[in-house]
Amino acid sequence: MTTTAVRRRTAAASGGGTLTGTCAMVRLALRRDRVKLPAWTLGITLFLPYFAAVAARTNSTPEALATSAEMLDAPMLRLFSGPMFGMENPTTLGYLVNAYFPEFLLGAALMNMLLVARHTRIEEQSGRAELVRAAVVGRHAALTAALLVAVITNVVLALLLTAAALGVGMTVSGALLFGAATAAMGLVFAAVTAVSAQLTEQARAAAGIAGGVLAVVWLLRAVGAVQDGWLTWTSPMGWAQLTRVAGDGRWWPLALPVLLSAALTAVAYALSGRRDLGAGLVASRPGRARAARGLRSLLALAFRLQRASFLWWGGSLLAAGLVFGGLAGSMSESMAEEFLGGGPDVMGGYLSLMAVGMVFLVGIFTVLTATRLRTEERRGRVAPLLATPTGRWAWLGSSLLATGLAAVALLAISGLSMGVGAATVLDDAALGALAAGAVLARIPEILFLLGVAATLFGFAPRGAALAWAVLALGAVIRFWGADLPGWVRSLSPFDHIPRMPVEDFSLAPLVVLTALAAGLLLIGLYGFRRRDLDGA
Amino acid sequence: MTAITTRDLVKTYGPTRALDRLDLTVNTGEIHGFLGPNGAGKSTTIRVLLGLVRADSGRAELLGGDPWADATELHRRLAYVPGDVELWPNLTGGEVIDLLGRLRGGLDETRRAELVERFQLDPTKKGRTYSKGNRQKVALVAAFAADVELLVLDEPTSGLDPLMEAVFQEVVAEMRAAGRTVLLSSHILAQVERLADRVSIIRQGRIVQAGTLAELRHLTRTTVEAETATPVTGLAALPGVHGAESGRGRVRFSVDAEHLDGAIKHVGAFGIRALTSHPPSLEELMLRHYGNGAAA
Repeated sequence: MTTTAVRRRTAAASGGGTLTGTCAMVRLALRRDRVKLPAWTLGITLFLPYFAAVAARTNSTPEALATSAEMLDAPMLRLFSGPMFGMENPTTLGYLVNAYFPEFLLGAALMNMLLVARHTRIEEQSGRAELVRAAVVGRHAALTAALLVAVITNVVLALLLTAAALGVGMTVSGALLFGAATAAMGLVFAAVTAVSAQLTEQARAAAGIAGGVLAVVWLLRAVGAVQDGWLTWTSPMGWAQLTRVAGDGRWWPLALPVLLSAALTAVAYALSGRRDLGAGLVASRPGRARAARGLRSLLALAFRLQRASFLWWGGSLLAAGLVFGGLAGSMSESMAEEFLGGGPDVMGGYLSLMAVGMVFLVGIFTVLTATRLRTEERRGRVAPLLATPTGRWAWLGSSLLATGLAAVALLAISGLSMGVGAATVLDDAALGALAAGAVLARIPEILFLLGVAATLFGFAPRGAALAWAVLALGAVIRFWGADLPGWVRSLSPFDHIPRMPVEDFSLAPLVVLTALAAGLLLIGLYGFRRRDLDGA
Repeated sequence: MTAITTRDLVKTYGPTRALDRLDLTVNTGEIHGFLGPNGAGKSTTIRVLLGLVRADSGRAELLGGDPWADATELHRRLAYVPGDVELWPNLTGGEVIDLLGRLRGGLDETRRAELVERFQLDPTKKGRTYSKGNRQKVALVAAFAADVELLVLDEPTSGLDPLMEAVFQEVVAEMRAAGRTVLLSSHILAQVERLADRVSIIRQGRIVQAGTLAELRHLTRTTVEAETATPVTGLAALPGVHGAESGRGRVRFSVDAEHLDGAIKHVGAFGIRALTSHPPSLEELMLRHYGNGAAA
């Protein structure tokens, strides 16, 4: 059904000839992504049996299941898991779907964003698209091929998820609905990225716009679920969950993502037909003929290069912090009284959990910025700098320092905005300090992550992407690893600093983590000093 | 006085031997042409000399210091232009020129303005919007505006149009007049011939020929094509003439540089109506002297 919708759309939106070569482009894309796409779809699917095992173990008794179900309905968990359906008589499967559905939706959205960006704007920016377009290939062939590959991938994902859902014991109709709803969410973000790829010349900005849309979509659904209101209906993520997979299952909400994808696709084609290859809709303006007075050191350059990204991140985290903080009001009212007898602990639990979440978001910024150093080197932008009287320590040190300071600033922004949000809503100024402290205490975790990235850059530059693995495993262990043995959990750098204010402050893990981070940073600097420079 | 000396320099990348006992000598104050086909090891040599890459064995000396250990100090006294200039997408050309100059401890303002003018560079454009030639100009202006002893230029004119190539040649000649040393790597023989005092030819990681252009003259063989009033005879018997072909009032032959004069005089006796000559390309030259592997 989704396939035909998009096909019809593409045929209608483009004249004859502009689609020439689409088939070959689809084959090229599938060939290029022969590892990536199976890895993504299987990777997402495998989380279902894992989560099923976790859900079964934590809910092994009817009493435990009842408690879990009640907890799930509390605002704090609804923020993450969304609206709850089919839990009047709680079952493990119902718990599984209600608690973990959002993870699959986010995974599908991310996969589609990266997929479409990879085959549209990134190709144009690299200049490869020029080579392709000069051949017998129509104007809309690349965009069409990217969207077709996205459709194929989403269908495969839907089928794999259906199979996995049947495997963990869901009904046939429930399993099909689960797969289809996840794929529909993916489709929406394929279309969102198709539009954002038309807007700017830079792939990074295009991905940033799509990521921003995902954040807004998540936030709308999160706030909607906490307030139990109509906001959920404004979010594609909400639509998927409103199919009530674990409840009485209804298909019609899925018409919304399909219609939205079709509309967005039409917009993308209209924009694409109106612009030149390689150009965005917003033309590049001329800049300064002379450098600003301040741009006179490698540190200044490092700040300058991450400025735009920092401002975007800062603005987004500020908004997110205010919203999360503001939701603190909803937490205290219901949950506190019903479960834990009220008091500051509920608030503390909520704030500390959000603080951990914020740290992972800043972690994404940190790894993103640190791995960009490798890109700088490979693209040959480092050699001219090192051919001036600046040493390698100075270059790498300045870059890491700039990233570290930016990350700390982002943590401060998140903590303070969350604190201001909570303090304003609850009229309790002390909460501000509490929230800021809960986030700022986690600075060593980010420094450690930066240290890992630095060491990889210095000694194993080809493995620079492994820093992502540390972050991702840290997140999995933190949020979904309650069941793992203690020694596995202790491997994660994100599981040692106490969760304030629920847990008591303790200095030792902070000191140890900071010392390890400093060691890793020095090792990275040392390694970079003695290795060859790669790239052009 | 030598600005650059290397002895037995070896650098391997896995099974590839990029530099194979390379001996290079560049005298102070000269323009030294560093010639070789693509992939011969020119850029690797330069990266070793800049301390960006460490040689496996052998010795290298640059401006009296060790390029790896004393990199920072030595870089105060040199400027570098890579063959494929990459700029930061969101910085303008003007900003990059200023930044590189300041990192080097300041640049000559008058010279900067003059060079921007001569190379017709628009310094207000963002890095991502420059064409290849314009990116190259940004790096050239930054290097030429620096007050340094040594210029290391790695195929610096790739992407420049002929007008800008002429400006480049003028500026390099001025650099020599100002007493600077220039290491100019290229795979185009003609470019190096016009500028260089001495030339080193590199092939598969080794220097196979080095000397002044006069000393290397025996390597060059010019191809001549002429249209004459009466058919040319007796050409093949002349010393240094190779592959003479004639017919329908035209003649075509190649001749060693030292016998060019005699051959042209001989042809002149038959009444020249049109005459063209081609200098040998580096590829032809390598092919002739070192066999088929050379042009790879």
